Amino acid sequence: MSSLTPDLFDPTPVPAGQPARLSLVPEASCLPARQGRGELWLCLWLPQLPLDALATGEDAPDAPACVIEGEGSAQRVIAANGAAVRHGIRAGLGLNAALALCPGVRLHMRQPAAEAALLERLARWTTQFTPVVSLEPPRALLAEVRGSLGLFGGAAGLRRRALESLHRRGLYAFAALAPTPRAALWLARAGLDTPVQAPGELPGLAARLPLSCLGWPQATLARFATLGIRNVADLTRLPRDGFARRFGPSLLAELDEAFGRRPQPRRRAVMPERFDDSLELPVETGSIPLVEIALERLLGRLEAFLRTRSAGILGLAVALLHRGQPATRLRLGLARPGGEAGHLQALLHERLGRTLLPAPVVALRLRSTVAVPLELRSGVLPGTAGYDADPEAAARLLEHLRARLGREAVFSVRLAQEHRPERAWQVSEPALGKTGAGPFAEAVAVPVGPARPLWMIAEPQALRERDGLPRHGGRSLTLLSGPERIETGWWDGQDVCRDYYVAAAADGVRLWIYRERRRSGGWWLHGVFG
Amino acid sequence: MDPTGLDELLQHPSLWRASSAQGEGKVLPTGFRRLDERLPGGGWPLDTLIELLLPLHGIGEINLLLPALRTLCAQDAQSPRWIAWLGPPHLPYAPALASAGLDPARMLVVRSNAARPPGSSLWAMEQALRSRACVAALGWVDGADGQSLRRLKLAAEEGGSLGFLFRPKERAREPSPAALRLLLEAHDGALDVHILKNRGGLPARVKGVLEGMAGG
Repeated sequence: MSSLTPDLFDPTPVPAGQPARLSLVPEASCLPARQGRGELWLCLWLPQLPLDALATGEDAPDAPACVIEGEGSAQRVIAANGAAVRHGIRAGLGLNAALALCPGVRLHMRQPAAEAALLERLARWTTQFTPVVSLEPPRALLAEVRGSLGLFGGAAGLRRRALESLHRRGLYAFAALAPTPRAALWLARAGLDTPVQAPGELPGLAARLPLSCLGWPQATLARFATLGIRNVADLTRLPRDGFARRFGPSLLAELDEAFGRRPQPRRRAVMPERFDDSLELPVETGSIPLVEIALERLLGRLEAFLRTRSAGILGLAVALLHRGQPATRLRLGLARPGGEAGHLQALLHERLGRTLLPAPVVALRLRSTVAVPLELRSGVLPGTAGYDADPEAAARLLEHLRARLGREAVFSVRLAQEHRPERAWQVSEPALGKTGAGPFAEAVAVPVGPARPLWMIAEPQALRERDGLPRHGGRSLTLLSGPERIETGWWDGQDVCRDYYVAAAADGVRLWIYRERRRSGGWWLHGVFG
Repeated sequence: MDPTGLDELLQHPSLWRASSAQGEGKVLPTGFRRLDERLPGGGWPLDTLIELLLPLHGIGEINLLLPALRTLCAQDAQSPRWIAWLGPPHLPYAPALASAGLDPARMLVVRSNAARPPGSSLWAMEQALRSRACVAALGWVDGADGQSLRRLKLAAEEGGSLGFLFRPKERAREPSPAALRLLLEAHDGALDVHILKNRGGLPARVKGVLEGMAGG
């Protein structure tokens, strides 16, 4: 296969004395001679993605299992786990053959939606290494990592870190690094470990790439076999236009892209703005603690989603899906953008504790509001001014209290410009962060004048009277000071006309009472001094 | 090892012992000289739980705390924290708070009209103390066992806040892990304070801490 007909249309002059080798791979001088620069693509190829996407916890790792697709007699295996491979089951095998090799193998139907969802999640996970991530469905991811090498310990370090992290999640992957995306994909599929940093190294490795890593149709590969082509290096020695004529220009274009002669623009994976994910529970359950365990997983994914973008959310909607009944919905609002899984779990725990489930829960769905960028603050060193106010802590406390006790039960107070005592104050939203320059940042003046009680009784209590003196707790009260006439409020129909006194009870408590001067008269208790 | 040599080593000023750290806790002057004289360090111990036992509400217990609360508010004016009122018997009246020198906006009131499950005030107080968002927390609780009180004290220590717990006088006989326990009594228009438990000091009875309470 070494002597080839020279191509009449190739302008490259052939030096005398050398065999005419016109190859499909351009000489190194044609490529930009930048050692160590240019793009570097990482490809993560997951051969068992269909199996991992199903994520059924029931299969023991040693039990053979495989995923099948197709209908009737045309059902084929598309993925098999290690134990099944040891029995001889391979992708592409017919169902009957697989069952003959291993009668006890567990079969699962392929779920393309779950595979796509897993690939999307992995793409989001990959953004921790680099922002440029591209999907290569059905089973691979590409990421451009040249700029990140320094942060992760070089090419080998990055590759090792990625594989270890995936392994910890129970995912089985091959990783390869190459200057072009397509070459990285081929290297990953062939299982070659060595990172290829410079484009010039690619032709040397081509001899170790089998044709199966190309992903081309079986018919084409069969034709290559009849021509005696066994690996990609052989492929590159074919004449260009002859190749294009026999096998089509698109395959030639792919070879060019792999060796860097032709650019291969990739579409970047678009990260969604909001988090929207569901989880099916392994068993239907009506027990809140089990629902919370599943919720913890979803919240972990939310936290990872937010962390890759340094963003926070302002609200969350949780839907607990039942079979045949409308879903139970819970909404959670946050005072400041946040997304810590532990904090959200605690808030939802309070909320779930007060929820009654009408039916067993089948699945959970978690949706968030649009993610907003977080202002990141640097942490405080331990031991240095550890007691400074933290607006995050204030927001968390507020949310936590409200989640358990209800929104109206937690409030602050403020002054109002009013003579009627019950209206001289209002409920206000607790302020977070700095409250302003001076202690009294509001325009309402501090009341000076007669004393006011520290406690106000929401609904004034009627007091009994004997000998013209009010009585409380069975004893007559002694009037200490007063009267203070408050007569006002005719403009909104809630006019009052009262004489206020400070009275002492026999047990030492001082009360703020008034005598109603209109219609009914009578003594009323309005406040207690503190 | 020579025992006297060990003693000398333990007295060395550069040696820090965890048990000695408790004694030099920070204090906050109460604002009442006669009470300060009887408290170790001359004031309220900080970052801990103080229990105040009352025969009934309104005998002047808040007035006793007002100077200290004013000081706490003034201390962290740069990065203000809340003063939490958890389960108070009535509504705190903002004009009175303002006249007393406290900014109403710094008060966080937790009070619901609906019947709450028992123990929610205790839980809320623990959250407030631990959160680092409150400089002080005033809680009204009836029954609480030693375990809950220990949790409150731990929360105050961890969160760097001061907890004042108001309980009925009948609880005076029950043991409590609070650092300071005071029994308040009203006598002839003045407030008497019995110091029941005083860490680092002796129990005492201080008469007439708050006097002449007409017109507050």
